[in-house]
Amino acid sequence: MPNFPPPDGSTESHDERGDDSRPGSGLEKTDLELVKRAQQGERSAFDLLVLRYQHRVIKLVARLLRDPAEAEDVAQEAFVKAYRALGSFRGDSAFYTWLYRIAVNTARNAMASRQRRPLDYEADLGEHEQASVQSRLRHVDTPEAVALSDEIQQTVERAIQELPEDLRTAILLREVEGLSYEEIATAMDCPVGTVRSRIFRAREAVDRNLKPLLD
Amino acid sequence: MALRHARVLVAALGMAIVPALQAADSPRVWLERMTESLATRNYDGLFTHSAGEQSEAMRILHRVEDGRSVERLVSLDGSGRELVRTPEEVHAYLPDRRVVLVEPRKEDGSLLKAVPAPGPELELLYELEARPGHRVLGNEVRIVDVRPRDQYRYGYRLWLAEDTAMPLRSAVLDGDGRVIEQIQFTRLEMPAHIPASAVEPSVDATGYQWIRTGRRGNVRVAAVAGWRVRQAPPGFRLVASRFQTLPGVPVPVPHLILSDGLASVSVFIEPGPPSGPIPRELATLGSANAYTTTVQGHVVTAVGEVPQNTVRNIASSVVPETGAPPLDAGR
Amino acid sequence: MTDQIKEQISALLDGELPQNEMNLLVRRLERDAALRLAFGRYALVGEVLRAPGGALASAGFAERVSSAVAAGVSAAPSASAVAPSSRRRRATPMIGAAVAAGTLFAAVLLLVPEQGEQLQQARSVEPPAPVAADVEATGAASPTLARSQRMAAYLVAHGEYSTPIGRRNVWTGVLANDPGITRVSYEFSEAR
Repeated sequence: MPNFPPPDGSTESHDERGDDSRPGSGLEKTDLELVKRAQQGERSAFDLLVLRYQHRVIKLVARLLRDPAEAEDVAQEAFVKAYRALGSFRGDSAFYTWLYRIAVNTARNAMASRQRRPLDYEADLGEHEQASVQSRLRHVDTPEAVALSDEIQQTVERAIQELPEDLRTAILLREVEGLSYEEIATAMDCPVGTVRSRIFRAREAVDRNLKPLLD
Repeated sequence: MALRHARVLVAALGMAIVPALQAADSPRVWLERMTESLATRNYDGLFTHSAGEQSEAMRILHRVEDGRSVERLVSLDGSGRELVRTPEEVHAYLPDRRVVLVEPRKEDGSLLKAVPAPGPELELLYELEARPGHRVLGNEVRIVDVRPRDQYRYGYRLWLAEDTAMPLRSAVLDGDGRVIEQIQFTRLEMPAHIPASAVEPSVDATGYQWIRTGRRGNVRVAAVAGWRVRQAPPGFRLVASRFQTLPGVPVPVPHLILSDGLASVSVFIEPGPPSGPIPRELATLGSANAYTTTVQGHVVTAVGEVPQNTVRNIASSVVPETGAPPLDAGR
Repeated sequence: MTDQIKEQISALLDGELPQNEMNLLVRRLERDAALRLAFGRYALVGEVLRAPGGALASAGFAERVSSAVAAGVSAAPSASAVAPSSRRRRATPMIGAAVAAGTLFAAVLLLVPEQGEQLQQARSVEPPAPVAADVEATGAASPTLARSQRMAAYLVAHGEYSTPIGRRNVWTGVLANDPGITRVSYEFSEAR
């Protein structure tokens, strides 16, 4: 029975690059299919990739920038860049690995362009003006967003704890351990179809708690 | 004011007059409002300018008093560089070089004709769109997209304050929509009054080398001194020509200005160096590109906020006017 | 929104949906915003479980990206669009153009202006061999005026004939970048 990952983020090296390239990983297959459609001009296929990876990219970018307030702008830029560059994606790596590199580059550029800013202001402005600039720079900080993210966190964790054990095990094996349906079927000694259904029901149960928060 | 410029330009080019009824929220009206605000309002702002991986903090002050407008642009990166533009002259202070570049600008009224203004013909070359955007610096904004219809010009995205049409953020984009250069205000104040001292240079330029790069002269809409651009990319036309003096160059340098109504390109034609032909050279300066080549013993440089191909095409198609002898190198 | 479809969405997220079901589902998702949101929430559950803590996208984020993509690009993405390494991508078209112009080859150089005329060869540029470009010589059109100062003078003069926005951009470049020459390429024709 898998545990929750430790809160220090030590699982990040596992999930961050999204190298779900284990043999038989269907994740990549789905991504590739969505990429292929987006390359043919189906923007909604790209929307799905954004929906899938938005949180991961924002988390990554926020950590690099050390400024969550700017993370969404930079993440948005990264996704837009990725879309424009999609034609050059050849599937040599997992889609997320590719997206990860774009996001890191975008964040790095953003950092380079912002690094000197506080110093510049200090050099040129009086104390009063500095305070004014700082407060303006932070106007995008939204404590509500931070609180919501905590609430989402707690809601998901609580909902998972309340799941019947077979559903809980199935979804954690999938989401945390990254096992395929077939591997989970072997581990839980049940048909693959049952795995698919258990994971879905687990998600639905969590989603029932989550949806009111997000609507 | 900007609208008037647009009309002057349009009339001068013998084109259709601005339609009398232009929807108040049409993108072109927004561009005109922006141009007017930039030229006529008092403002004091801090912004970051970024191009590629580089980024700098800058301050801009614009003061209008009794119809006299003075603008001061200051680099906040510690170099002390600044640029002050009065109705008479532009001074670029480069303390790290102990140099002041001086460009006289008091010319006859025809300069106005040479300044691009968003006329109706613009939409043949660019696709314009205005739509409401998210808030920028606490202001409701209108996003104006200017997308080029071909590869010879850049696009722009402008975030204009709903109430003042001041650009709070602006981006120059290439044909694929990639950002080439961006300006983003972190503070913008529009006081009723800006003291004259605020637009005085803060640099003590005592002992600096003052380089007067320009010379007063009439701006003409005809070609000067026997040079012309044989074939410019679509939409670009000669809007002015004048002479520019440069230290170390024994004769005034012809300066041709081409514009498509939004983007402009300057062509400078210097006598060639005694050492023979120089390699052709392409330089990128933020969103500006410069291309230098040799034409009949002269060094031709085209510079403008346009893609590389455009400056290359323009510089490469500069030719001496037939019937008029090319400018004598004078050595 | 039936459970059957939502189960398919769940399987799609895990890459476990058979190809034949996938085509239909993606098309459905295209039409149905509620289904797309469900897909997004399912993905969120996974993110929260895998890596608790840290930032999450706000509710409207994906939608904003979608509009930004729609606003910036009207056609399908092209193979010539930007790749993660922007320097390389920006350099490549220049080489292409130089070749097209009938020149022998072009070298793309990064020039740190006036610091002993240092040249750095852009590492990522390929394939032209490094060129021993003589920068002193190339800057010699007006020997008494340093090349960068001449360029600054050109840009200051040019700014007068730009739109207000263009002028601000160009002049900012003069102040910021000394005078901003970050990338210079030289083309050598065969005749030379």
